[in-house]
Amino acid sequence: MSHIAKIEIEIKDLSALKAACVRLGLEFVCDQRTYAWFGQHIGDYPIPEGFTVDDMGKCDHAIRVPGAAYEIGVIKRDRQWLLVWDFWRSGGLERVLGKSAGKLKQAYAASKAVMEARRKGYLVKEQVTKNGGIRITLSGGRA
Amino acid sequence: MKKIVIDIDETGAVRIETEGFVGKSCIEETKFLKDLLGKETAQQLTPAYFATARGCVKKHLPLCG
Repeated sequence: MSHIAKIEIEIKDLSALKAACVRLGLEFVCDQRTYAWFGQHIGDYPIPEGFTVDDMGKCDHAIRVPGAAYEIGVIKRDRQWLLVWDFWRSGGLERVLGKSAGKLKQAYAASKAVMEARRKGYLVKEQVTKNGGIRITLSGGRA
Repeated sequence: MKKIVIDIDETGAVRIETEGFVGKSCIEETKFLKDLLGKETAQQLTPAYFATARGCVKKHLPLCG
């Protein structure tokens, strides 16, 4: 063992986000400029940092989630892609994707790590752990 | 055998652990993953990090007498 690092996910690669959608059975819709949400900001929760009320419901791409009435907006900001959504429970997104769309972030990280590791020539082994986590083991290649 | 183990929980939190590396090479080997996935929020170095290819780095401290 040599070192342990913890990483906070930033979505920088749209192709890995699309691959994450395929993993989870979601539909990535390119160039859909609006996403389904409650439709009106009623002030019960703060607007995400860097957004205005007029920005709500607008996006660059969208993700449709089977069984959910609402959708996820994918918005380009600087060098990364932000995921925005209305987490109101009747919209159904949190029920499918977990709090703060954790399962989508998990699938993105797994897709991105596997894609890049294979490109670098590592042997890649992927397992689902008992607690719903994903473990990816890299060996061979340069490791 | 050298291995890189990436654990991703259901909240999307990523933990990267290296095994079998000696010295700073583990940091270099995993840099591509850190750069691609996001930003590093914590790092813990383990005893192997302080070892060199020839063996452990020993520090000699002056004792009394």
